[in-house]
Amino acid sequence: MNNILPIVALIIFPGGLFLLTSGLAYEWVDRKLIARFQNRFGPRWFQPLADTVKLLAKEEIIPQGVNAFLFILLPVMGLAAALTAALYVPMAGLAPSFSFRGDLVVTLYLLSVLTLCLGLAGANSADRFSLIGATRTLTQVFSYEAPFMLAMLGPAIVTGSWQINEVNAYAQSNLWLIIAQPIGFLVALVGLMGKLELPPFDAPEAETEIVSGALTEYSGRGYALFRLGKNVELVIGLTLVAAFYLGGLASPLDFLWKTLALLLVLALLQTLFARLRIDQTVGLWWRIGALLALVQLLVLIVL
Amino acid sequence: MDKQEKFIVPIGPQHPALKEPGHFEFTVDGEVVTSATARLGYVHRGIEKAVENRNWTQAMYMLERICGICSHVHATAYCLGVEKLAGVEAPPRAQAIRVLIAELERIHSHMLWWGVAAHEGGFDILFMYTWRDRETVMELLEMISGNRVHYSANLIGGVKFDIDQKQADAIRKGIDYLEERTRHYLEIITTDETFLGRTRNIGVMTSDQAKSLGAVGPTARASDVHRDVRIDHPYAGYDRFPVQIVTEKEGDLEARFIVRLKELFESYRLIREVLDNLPDSELTVKVPRKIPAGQVISRVEAPRGELFYYIESNGSDQPERIKVRTPTLPNWGTVLSTAVGLKLADMPMLLVGIDPCFSCNDRLVYVKDQNQSLTEKTWSWDDLRNHGIERYK
Repeated sequence: MNNILPIVALIIFPGGLFLLTSGLAYEWVDRKLIARFQNRFGPRWFQPLADTVKLLAKEEIIPQGVNAFLFILLPVMGLAAALTAALYVPMAGLAPSFSFRGDLVVTLYLLSVLTLCLGLAGANSADRFSLIGATRTLTQVFSYEAPFMLAMLGPAIVTGSWQINEVNAYAQSNLWLIIAQPIGFLVALVGLMGKLELPPFDAPEAETEIVSGALTEYSGRGYALFRLGKNVELVIGLTLVAAFYLGGLASPLDFLWKTLALLLVLALLQTLFARLRIDQTVGLWWRIGALLALVQLLVLIVL
Repeated sequence: MDKQEKFIVPIGPQHPALKEPGHFEFTVDGEVVTSATARLGYVHRGIEKAVENRNWTQAMYMLERICGICSHVHATAYCLGVEKLAGVEAPPRAQAIRVLIAELERIHSHMLWWGVAAHEGGFDILFMYTWRDRETVMELLEMISGNRVHYSANLIGGVKFDIDQKQADAIRKGIDYLEERTRHYLEIITTDETFLGRTRNIGVMTSDQAKSLGAVGPTARASDVHRDVRIDHPYAGYDRFPVQIVTEKEGDLEARFIVRLKELFESYRLIREVLDNLPDSELTVKVPRKIPAGQVISRVEAPRGELFYYIESNGSDQPERIKVRTPTLPNWGTVLSTAVGLKLADMPMLLVGIDPCFSCNDRLVYVKDQNQSLTEKTWSWDDLRNHGIERYK
């Protein structure tokens, strides 16, 4: 029995299958919500799955001038990192499969690996759009990563532990942290949007400028894996923010309504704004995001 | 490294930012554009040549198809020119209906444009909303003419459709709705912080620059150049129904948005005025089948700016030569000269800022060498024709 549980955790729940399914489901909710906000009909419920199946079935073209090994490895690594991150997070409101002191830091780094892979994938390519996309992706990493981490550390500091599980438990037994640390919540939510390159932070893949950014030359399998990776990261990111700031996740029902509520806010924010230029993004994060998060952190430490 | 390598970002001929094929090369230093070049001519369709084989009436339908957005102004420019050659004038009611449809077309063209421009800036919600509202005016045009795009309202010597009371009421209702929406969009465009970040002080063109580059239409008017054919040389019914000029001083992208939106209020006012004061008269006058020999220049104000027609007749039932210059052509210079120093991310919006219509402005250029003689390198009409046959065999 002892050997089976970790395998189940890896392949079915909360890793593997559950994550992929929920990732596709959340992508659909996101797309549908945005479409409704924009007065469109939006996709049918199975559209993300159909897209993925179609992409997986397509021939993968390895363009000239790339390192073929990296070209194939990077999407796999990105997805794997995102899936691994789920093991330390209270997915579906249940206790994380694995937990140790300081797993918060590990999770945050695992979540960044996907973005790094994206950047590398763009830099690996000889295509000019990919190169610019990669530059922008990596520039964006440097701008939102620090504020996002600071925002995540806020709840950890009041809990006195860097273990996601304990922060979650603390959040459940105390006043919702969104009320105690509203700035942190805002920075975390917007940071998540930056991480996932959602509008208005989609300069790295601005289709009207650089086609598809770092992923321009990806087709078929690699592209499908990157997309899946992003979907998975969306679910994990929402879970983390909900667990930390929205009074923790105690049950699957808790998980469902809290993450979906967050997604609703996310979709609203995505529709409301015009795309920011990359210099505006960096300016926004360092001038406002990082400062606010720092102030919040200082207040927490002093108190 | 002895040679400085240039990093050139190609946009087009196929690119998500462009709805039509055109090729632009931006040399960038990081994100900053250091030089810009354009190459046009991907959608040359030989329409000018094609009309030479058609009679005067058929030519009008051909010329309407130069532009899929502003088809009416093309026909108007052509008909006004031919009427002048023939020495006739369309009756006042026909002229008023020409104005009415031209203004409805301006509404639909501007709404289309600012949707596309918003999309280029990643502001998709504005894109979706404007295109939804644009359906109102499309339906009005369909109600009048039966068509949404090529209304073919013009005839040489008049117009085809009359406006009855029921249609007039429907137009008034549609205009009321659109006016309210336009007011709302004007507020968004001038107050939304993220959108202003992408438009304010981007691509600033001074009044002198605009004049020396020969900018036309809203692009010029956004730089405080008072240039509008409807006012400078009133044609069709514009002397009876005068237009107020709309200009802005800033000359940036935001000003180009504001000018176009404010122009719409002028269009709404004009449409109401035309509907209230439609003169009573016939719709057409008789025009001879053969147009007397002569040349004429006809200019009208298309939604994008001055549209120029040169028409030459040799006295037969077919035009001898028709030369069209669409407003996009003189405006290209403004894009290329304001691009330098901006960010790469501003390029799509700057390109779209002049409301370009690639396939309208593509013309064949007949290049002679320095001695003004035709050498082997110069292709004659027969060479071109043979090339076409060989290529698409």
